[in-house]
Amino acid sequence: MTAVAPVVDASTAAVDGPAGSLTHHPSRRHAAPMTPTVWLRYLGVLLVAVSAPILLGELGVLNDTRALVLGEAAALAVAALSLNVLMGYAGQVSLGHFALLGVGAFASSRLTAPTASDPVALPFVFGVVAATGAGGLVAFLLGLPALRLRGLYLAVVTIVFNFVMVQSLFQSSWLSSGSGGVELPRPVVGTFEFVRNADYLAVVLALLVVVWLVDANLSASKLGRAFHAIRADETMAASFGIDVTRYKLLAFTISGAMAGLAGALYGHLFTFVNSGTFDLTQSLFLLTLVVIGGLGSRAGVVAAAAMYGALDFGLGEAFGTDAAGWVVFGGAVLLMFTIAQHPTGLAGAWREASERRHQRSVHGAPAEEADGTPATPQMVDLPRPVGLPARDTGPGDGPLLAVRDVTVHFGGLRAVDAVSLDVPPRRIVGLIGPNGAGKTTLFNAISGALRPDAGTVELLGRDLSDAPAHVRAAAGIGRTFQMIGLAKDRSVTENLLLAQHHVASYGAVEALAGLGRAPRVEEALRTRAAEAVAALGFERYADTPVANLSHGQQRIVEIGCALVTAPDLVMLDEPSAGMAPGAVENLAVRLRDMRDELDRTVLLIEHNIPLVLDVCDELYVLANGSLIAHGAPDDVVARAAVIEAYLGGAIS
Amino acid sequence: MAQVLVIGLVEGTLFGLLAVGITLIHRGTGAINFALGEVGTFGLYVAWWLTVDQGMPWIVGATGAVATAVALSLAFERLVVRPMRVRNPLAVSVATVGLLTALLSFEFQRFGESPREVPVPIHGLGVRVAGVNVSPTQLLSLLVVAAIAIGLGQFLRRTDFGLGVLAAAQDADATRLVGVPLRRVTAFVWAAGGAVAALAALFVAPTVGALTPGFASTHLFVVALIAAVVGGLSSLPGAFVGGLALGVLKSGVLRLFAESTLPGKEYLVYLTIGIAVLLFRPNGILGTARPRSAA
Repeated sequence: MTAVAPVVDASTAAVDGPAGSLTHHPSRRHAAPMTPTVWLRYLGVLLVAVSAPILLGELGVLNDTRALVLGEAAALAVAALSLNVLMGYAGQVSLGHFALLGVGAFASSRLTAPTASDPVALPFVFGVVAATGAGGLVAFLLGLPALRLRGLYLAVVTIVFNFVMVQSLFQSSWLSSGSGGVELPRPVVGTFEFVRNADYLAVVLALLVVVWLVDANLSASKLGRAFHAIRADETMAASFGIDVTRYKLLAFTISGAMAGLAGALYGHLFTFVNSGTFDLTQSLFLLTLVVIGGLGSRAGVVAAAAMYGALDFGLGEAFGTDAAGWVVFGGAVLLMFTIAQHPTGLAGAWREASERRHQRSVHGAPAEEADGTPATPQMVDLPRPVGLPARDTGPGDGPLLAVRDVTVHFGGLRAVDAVSLDVPPRRIVGLIGPNGAGKTTLFNAISGALRPDAGTVELLGRDLSDAPAHVRAAAGIGRTFQMIGLAKDRSVTENLLLAQHHVASYGAVEALAGLGRAPRVEEALRTRAAEAVAALGFERYADTPVANLSHGQQRIVEIGCALVTAPDLVMLDEPSAGMAPGAVENLAVRLRDMRDELDRTVLLIEHNIPLVLDVCDELYVLANGSLIAHGAPDDVVARAAVIEAYLGGAIS
Repeated sequence: MAQVLVIGLVEGTLFGLLAVGITLIHRGTGAINFALGEVGTFGLYVAWWLTVDQGMPWIVGATGAVATAVALSLAFERLVVRPMRVRNPLAVSVATVGLLTALLSFEFQRFGESPREVPVPIHGLGVRVAGVNVSPTQLLSLLVVAAIAIGLGQFLRRTDFGLGVLAAAQDADATRLVGVPLRRVTAFVWAAGGAVAALAALFVAPTVGALTPGFASTHLFVVALIAAVVGGLSSLPGAFVGGLALGVLKSGVLRLFAESTLPGKEYLVYLTIGIAVLLFRPNGILGTARPRSAA
């Protein structure tokens, strides 16, 4: 286990991970769009991947035993990439991934192996395509019931699924002859058969490169950003217009398709599989590899698969297969250690080590300190996005937002009690009240983050009462959160791209291929993000992870994200909290700009009464879940009931 | 029909017992302990070693099994869970997958795949109920499960510590208000989970047969996990009833499709029930709507 020693000495500061997230690693990397140069680079890698094993095989360097080991490691790498999409990107756990590999292998065998009842055998290509499709389809069907819910239900369903397949269906007479298993012939092109392992290794490596390319495209697209946002915080993701259930399902379907492909590659390598090939222990070990390699890191999980192959082979050669068996035990112990002490895995350790080296070479101090973070962050200007698709703005007369009789219960408590309010267009409307009055709960009921027990919400005459949060975001409601709703381990630019999710109009297939509308739309998103960064005056921090910014700076980035798609209604939950006095003055100026220059409508929760008096056109007061006052700010604040409920008579 | 019920209920009590263990840990920590079945298997290997290899009486083997499972669970909690840097239910659950993998591979390496027989506590024919032989071991198992169910129920509902355990999942502050240190609650649920896992494995072994690596995960845990989902991962009575229901369904399906050559039919039942519950009663059959999170 010496090969993985670097994990032990890695020393990162302890962090509070967001609930439900395994890792918390800042990423400065920029996902680059596919340029011709990048395409050429992939083509070069593909050529090497194909020609090297064939040449080395001819030279006799790569004998059948070695090529088999490498082939298994390469197939395992595809499987690891597959689980990484689900677990590393989207934060969902599958404990039965090898059963999906099995689905692919059995599907491919069905088409490519001649049997007594079905003597027609189709070429290898059909088997691979069928395996990919079958893996994706089965994952989709399993994900439907499990992924609608938050929590560990996918892990539950997939572990049972693994048992179903191995103990039952893979042994059924219509899939295989009992536990006897099925044949998977090597590909044939013309008269050439890929019998030699080195030749077949070229096929596996070529497909590994293709899968890597698809995976890289995914990461750089709105899919990758949406998956990451879901892993960080599902409520935040939905507020940016991401349909959380749909994207979780998409992640599992893509992952299942990749697993099916890996299964076919695996099966045609060994030319025979049975139910035991896809035992639960294999699925668990795959998960071990992915966590140790580094969740979310393509290079990390592929390296872990390769290292396992090398270790398994090397120890087997040196000390016999019994010694190799202990590799799994060691891996499992390392998994527990990794998840407890170093959740970013090998990839994270590598990144930190190279960052330390880099810092030493530029003499010490971290870049942030050298820059000198301004004590009072200022919002220089506001994002003024252009070229956005037109939204349905309805009839346009009457209030922009109409809330009627909204009631929210928490157990026996009425957190919000039959609240009705109107927000007229191009106004700044304040919502004040003591802590626990139900202000944020009302916000959540309006934005769709929770479903009220009764009442209606209309935006521009359109009834959104039954619409989930992501639909309301796309309909023109932008919001911020008390606790900052951003993907904090991503850069400012990445967050501004994430915030444009619902205007990124290209499909999943275009995203995976990096073709069609995807590159053009991404270019437009990047331009808009860059303009927003410039408007906010954050050029210096464009590539800085949000977590490294001060609280006030994070708040500005969040407001920028809420504005970058030009929503009709901007809902801000205590934007001045934690801001320095100078920054609050700046905020007041920008709030007025939102109304006067951008023609936005603002609904504002605030505790800072001078700010409210300064900027608001109208004021509502909420206490114990009920509205107790409404009117012009000066009048409302002067009213006795408000003084009693909110200010305790201490206004001066 | 009566036979199906008797066979199903006898085995179902053990499914229910382990489901209660899974639910207890889930309520106390929010995590699912995927290693729980294998902790039971490991205890069973210890019981085998004490009784067959060392020739000691069954009760010594059983005590050794329970002690081992409890010690293993507590060690895991102390050495892996407590020092975690990013501790949340997902991370803890993934760590239990590490424990599961470690136990499985250790068993494969140390004991191999050759089946082992763990002796039964009481020999003899037992009693006939509705044309089914209920062995003395099964009667003992029913008694033990009943004693645990009643004892645990009383303990959780009648003592401050028990109330603290029940409150832990909803609200850590509520637990502290009852005056119970959260740390001790966590240690208790891991230890109690380990103990019921070992007991369930001990009593299911004579019915299912030979001990091999993965024994209790395959024959016990996977059913108990679905039973816990039937209880919404939150209701202890719901989990137990789920275990009983799955036991009866298993024996019913095996009886109904006795002619079919398809192996492992019961696993199809488990998956179907699990998916049906997630689709139609995600909070469980006895569950009430959970408070919605605000943001």
